[in-house]
Amino acid sequence: MDKKTTQLHSFHESNNAKFIDFGDWSMPFSYEGTLKEHDIVRNSSGFFDVSHMGRLEIDYSELDKISSLICSDLINIPMNKALYSIFTNEHGNALDDVIFWKFEDKIILIPNASNASKIKSHLADHKVDFIDKSLDTVLIAIQGPNTIELINDRFEIPDKFSTAKSDNFMYARTGYTGEDGIEIMASNDEADSLISFLIKKGIKPCGLGSRDTLRLEASLPLYGFELTEDITPVEASLSWTITNEQDFLGSDRLKAQIQDGNHKILKKFTIKSRKIARTKTIGISGDIKGVVTSGNFSPILNKSIGFILFENKPSQDLIEFDIRGNLIEGNIVNKRFLS
Amino acid sequence: MSDIKYLETHEWYLINEEVITVGISDFAQNELGDIVYVTLPEVGQSFEKGGAVVEVEATKTVAEAYAPMDCTITEVNSQLETEPETINNDPCGDGWMFKAKVNAVDDSGMTYQEYETFVS
Repeated sequence: MDKKTTQLHSFHESNNAKFIDFGDWSMPFSYEGTLKEHDIVRNSSGFFDVSHMGRLEIDYSELDKISSLICSDLINIPMNKALYSIFTNEHGNALDDVIFWKFEDKIILIPNASNASKIKSHLADHKVDFIDKSLDTVLIAIQGPNTIELINDRFEIPDKFSTAKSDNFMYARTGYTGEDGIEIMASNDEADSLISFLIKKGIKPCGLGSRDTLRLEASLPLYGFELTEDITPVEASLSWTITNEQDFLGSDRLKAQIQDGNHKILKKFTIKSRKIARTKTIGISGDIKGVVTSGNFSPILNKSIGFILFENKPSQDLIEFDIRGNLIEGNIVNKRFLS
Repeated sequence: MSDIKYLETHEWYLINEEVITVGISDFAQNELGDIVYVTLPEVGQSFEKGGAVVEVEATKTVAEAYAPMDCTITEVNSQLETEPETINNDPCGDGWMFKAKVNAVDDSGMTYQEYETFVS
């Protein structure tokens, strides 16, 4: 089957992108190299085409229904705020991790590309009405410390984790790289002029390769790796997202897990060498076994980092990894990778 | 001294008298993307043709470079330990990986033109 491409595919092709299959999509992996793009986002500004992600428009009449499906308090956060949350199933396991943008007149829900059709079915099953705007719009993430000063002549900049809109754009000061920036939803006919504006400002296109190394370095989980339908937000060390005080799907299980503390647990690790403990690598801490969910090289820390899912809470920080037959030592990290 | 030859597994080698110099091709480094770490063999280690000699860690994936023929390592490019990106920048020059004494000559690699056709 032919892979889906975004509205900006010809732009990517004419900028010599290397493509990678990501679920049903063919997306740019890199243009000038993953490490170079990583560096651009950490030090100046880069943009990512993330139009493969979903964009669902939801009316406030649906707020209570949708609130019963997520672990965070969408009802009481102020207008014009963005919210990271997790859709849970009846067992409290993660169906998807998503972003909500609250505007005065509507809510925008952004599910992961790989979960968009699942979330649409899930909403339909629970009688939540929505309008799918994914095919009519593009989604561009502009990230990096220089982003705001580069785009503030065209966009009114909201506070961090807040939303704003103009005639043609809806956007929020959010991202997935650990850097300041905004994510912009634009109608398809505005896409080309938006990209031209970014290029004119010297903001460079970046691919999914650097998006992955950036999010990992920023200690952010990726659905399909850290999060699956086999893990709860508590187990994924995302208990901070559980702010919904009403009952929601699977909330009993999450409460029980928080109370008794006896569950598997996702941890972050570093390895002193540059040898990468990749997904599925086994790591043992004391007598607790773990499996790496994501691992890569951190350009900023100049060592290997990753997430590992342990069967239970380890009692020590030392991890012994079996990397293709070699025993390599690593350490559990309880703070964020980047301060 | 003969010309550089290439293997289907994307290594290049150059035979000079009884010593081969081995690295990976420009195509291979481009496919791998940013190389961040290499595990080099020890001098004196012997490999059979096809044996895995070097492990190459890239941000995208991990790959191995294989011995083009039976050989014993005489020198490794220790610059790669601190600057593995040299392989990306100059795969067939400064990015060479190891030199080895040939134990059984097998000069059956592809010429540059043959390799270009193979990868295109």
